[in-house]
Amino acid sequence: MGEVRLDEENGNHMNGKKLLAGSAGLVVAALALSACGAGAGDSSAGSDGNVTLTMWHNSTTGPGKAYWKDTAAAFEEANPGVTVEIQSIQNEEMDGKLQTALNSGDAPDIFMSRGGGKLADVVEAGQVMDLTDGLSEATKTALGDAVLSAFAIDGKNYGVPTAVLPSGIYYASDLFEAAGVAAPPATIDELETVAADIKETGVAPIAVGAKDAWPAAHWYYNFALRACSKETMDEAAETRSFDDPCWLKAGEDLQSFLETEPFNEGFLTTTAQQGAGSSAGMIANHQAAMELMGAWNPGVIASLTPDQKPLPDLLWFPFPEVPGGDGGEGAMMGGVDGYSCWVNAPKECVDFLNFTAEKENQEAYATAFVTVPASKEAQAAVTDPALQEILKAYNEAPYVMVWLDTLFGQNIGNALNVAVVDMFAGGGDAQAIVDAVNDAAAKS
Amino acid sequence: MAVIDTIEIPPPREHEAPGQRRSGQVLIYLVALVLIGLMLAPVAYIILGGFRSNADITVDPSGFPSVWHWENYADVLVSPVFWQQVGNSTIAAVATTVLVVALGLMAAFALSRYSFRGRGLIYAIFTAGLMFPMTVAITPLYILVRNLGLTNSLVGVIIPQIAFALPITIIILVPFLAAIPHELQEAASIDGCSRLGFFWRMVIPLSMPGVITVGILAFIASWNSYMLPLFLLSTESTFTLPLGTQAFASQYSVDTARVLAFTSLSMIPALVFFSLFERRIVGGLTGAVKG
Amino acid sequence: MASARDTSPLTGDAARTPVADGGGAQPLPPSGQPAVGRRTNARRPRGTGMGSRLELAILIGPALIVFLAFVIFPVVIAAYYGFFSWSGFGPAVDFVGLRNYIVILTDPAFHEALGHNIFIAVMSLVLQGPIALGLALLLNRKLRYQSIIRVLIFVPYVISEVVVGVGWSLMLQTNGALNGLLNRLGLGALASDWLSDPAVAIWTLMVIITWKYIGFAVILFLAGLQGIPDELSEAAAIDGASYWQVQRHIVLPLLGPTIRIWAFLSIIGALQLFDLVWIIWGQYVASTAGTSTMATYMVANGRNAGSLGYGSAVAVVMFLISLVVALLYQRFLLRRDTAGAVTGGKR
Repeated sequence: MGEVRLDEENGNHMNGKKLLAGSAGLVVAALALSACGAGAGDSSAGSDGNVTLTMWHNSTTGPGKAYWKDTAAAFEEANPGVTVEIQSIQNEEMDGKLQTALNSGDAPDIFMSRGGGKLADVVEAGQVMDLTDGLSEATKTALGDAVLSAFAIDGKNYGVPTAVLPSGIYYASDLFEAAGVAAPPATIDELETVAADIKETGVAPIAVGAKDAWPAAHWYYNFALRACSKETMDEAAETRSFDDPCWLKAGEDLQSFLETEPFNEGFLTTTAQQGAGSSAGMIANHQAAMELMGAWNPGVIASLTPDQKPLPDLLWFPFPEVPGGDGGEGAMMGGVDGYSCWVNAPKECVDFLNFTAEKENQEAYATAFVTVPASKEAQAAVTDPALQEILKAYNEAPYVMVWLDTLFGQNIGNALNVAVVDMFAGGGDAQAIVDAVNDAAAKS
Repeated sequence: MAVIDTIEIPPPREHEAPGQRRSGQVLIYLVALVLIGLMLAPVAYIILGGFRSNADITVDPSGFPSVWHWENYADVLVSPVFWQQVGNSTIAAVATTVLVVALGLMAAFALSRYSFRGRGLIYAIFTAGLMFPMTVAITPLYILVRNLGLTNSLVGVIIPQIAFALPITIIILVPFLAAIPHELQEAASIDGCSRLGFFWRMVIPLSMPGVITVGILAFIASWNSYMLPLFLLSTESTFTLPLGTQAFASQYSVDTARVLAFTSLSMIPALVFFSLFERRIVGGLTGAVKG
Repeated sequence: MASARDTSPLTGDAARTPVADGGGAQPLPPSGQPAVGRRTNARRPRGTGMGSRLELAILIGPALIVFLAFVIFPVVIAAYYGFFSWSGFGPAVDFVGLRNYIVILTDPAFHEALGHNIFIAVMSLVLQGPIALGLALLLNRKLRYQSIIRVLIFVPYVISEVVVGVGWSLMLQTNGALNGLLNRLGLGALASDWLSDPAVAIWTLMVIITWKYIGFAVILFLAGLQGIPDELSEAAAIDGASYWQVQRHIVLPLLGPTIRIWAFLSIIGALQLFDLVWIIWGQYVASTAGTSTMATYMVANGRNAGSLGYGSAVAVVMFLISLVVALLYQRFLLRRDTAGAVTGGKR
């Protein structure tokens, strides 16, 4: 049955609808004009010479948060007329918020960055300040070229590192003792033996938080570090593809290691650091003996122990050597944390970054974050025994590569991590990892 | 108007023996009880988890708290930040709910009881809003809110929340409003009531179950909303409760026990709201057209 | 009648047989009413058409404007990015046309995700529908503790998805609470990799989804049940129908529109499912464990891979799929309604 409508109502309704549509359209158009394109952000320099710097960091709690508060206050004291406004943002959300802020033209002046391909993307969009001329001599000497190069793109510098985070294997020495292991393993075969010994004591040999993917991927990165020469890896960073056979070898090495089943049960659903039930938590509670992780681990483990103090028997040894590879002996892989300036930030931003690199501040950083500072001058402040071993290895390393997923950029890095997890889950093989990387460019 | 002309009612059966019926009832109760127990077990886990320490949870995931860490809950309750966030969440949720119900009810009324060209189109536009994942639209939305100068304010969070809650509100309300018989409308207009008057005086009370339902849904959606406030609010004094969990998650670790305690406490106001209003999901058209 | 408008549930329900669906009216004497009633219906209040126009503008205007500005508009802009390769920083300049879409539609990982979504949508209806109906019918009668039970059933829905995710991950981890409990009770043989075993994981997901959203279904059905007058059930009971007969033949058909609306929302929700899977499984295990959804695929290959253009394209594909489903659903709805769904509801 059809609707009965009188013609005059028809006309009226149509007009009503038109009125509605018209006004709605006007409003939307007005908004469109306002929302289209981000205006260039205004510099935060007031006319009276007062400058405000906004800073985003990711220490939402604890001594880290306090450190930045104190450092900012010290900077304000040393530079009258400058205020530093700090915001702490949860780590997982940092990337998303930062990207949105950069897009809207309203970015923080100082923001966290980790170098590598991710930073390169931001640089390409013209959103980062070139610091090459702004870096003070003191900063350059303190940090050294190798560390600063993590933030160098096309020969120009775009950030100042605050911490270096080399990776290696942390272990609970008490558990080693209980299993009768005399000394930490130096080669991969020795590692497999140690793992077998520990398994017999009922403890999981190695904890890995494969749910977060990157902890599993770190195993691949380190095997690649042992299999590939520095030149090959640098070249791959440029071409962003895995052409050299050493990448395949790395995958095969990892595969045979996996076959000895050295990891904790249920590693696919174990997170790396997300509180209770994570791989760090397992180490903290002596449910697992070893974990391959970066230099932030002692602090994380400390928060998960029963008494919430640092684990007393935590020690460290470097990733074992793997025979038949082209990697330099003692080479290390690690990340670099640091800060960059927004392209429209006031010049005081560079001053702030130089300030953070000063010896005193770096020492305080090392203590607050229980980590290895970027500045060589501040290395004496490192007291944790595991970290001291890391420092030793770090200073003797012929070269240090940045994490492969940071190096290759998010797109490739993500695909690489997924492929490694597939292998851990028994799904993929060494060739699949290579293919995943080479195919990733299509999805960008 | 032919309404329900044929409802097939099967021939009367023999009356069941009283005993059978009672045991059938008991069975139903039992099943319901078991179901509810299963539903609440995870919630109990979350609440109890707040009383433990991270080490406890790691070592013995299924265990009861051996040492009751009251401080996890106590610390949250005495922290002024928590109460500030409760306040912000409440303001945002109440404002969102009231406005969503108001706007949604009006729009649903128009869509269900007026006929005009483009009605189907407008309804389709509202429905379309449900189908696009919001995580993708957040960047342009952020820019829009920023250009309106509303970042870092609860208003900037409330208005988009209203917009996102409209589709489901309208979709649910339209059939409820459409079910109000036209006889009532005619009777009202015969008595001299305009259509808007009819809306005000009769439709709203008669569609109460639907209104309460969408109100509850809108409140809960706003209360739990995480992504929108995350992107739009940067000053800690404006944070809503879901953002408060960030304080327990630093760069490299998460204080699981405290997060569980915090979120257990956060759900209480939403539950209170629900229990206050669910009693009102009654009435409606029963007896409205009698005699 | 123009067919475009017929695809909306409105022209079916509201205009034609407003009383028949959703219930709530007494059986009125037939004869003569229809035509007259309709014409009376169409008579607008006194005053010019201007009043009507204004009424409409006042009623729909605010909602429409807010919605267009804050939802449709950002969505359109976001969709526009789907034609670009864009890292998210700076303006989008690398126009790639339909390349993103072609890659998506030919990617086996996307097909897998789509398959999972379809499975989740169907199973959600199958699992939640009957249970929620039963609970709603139960809770609609005068029951002791009725209110409390309703609150308790609704609790899972009230908890935010983030917390639900955290809680369930802890419980379902291979070294988590559930396996721990099973071991404790001596049922260790039942302990499995609830999350990472592809054979089990999707069912685990269904249990969690059912657990969370059944409260939503119950509350919706409860509201719908309020519109069914007791007189009908009483009349049938007087005629000797048993409780279940009354439910089956009177209540359920009249609850039809509510059920159909719930089903619609449930299906669309299933197609958009993201938070639960992301938090419990994480993006990586989601694909190896067989619980990936289109939304997790979108975020994993989009935002997390620094390819926001690609992510936008996936979002558009998701939208189109949901739109097709919605259109098909409403066409199906319409057919049922015009066939007189109230009469017995058996068609």
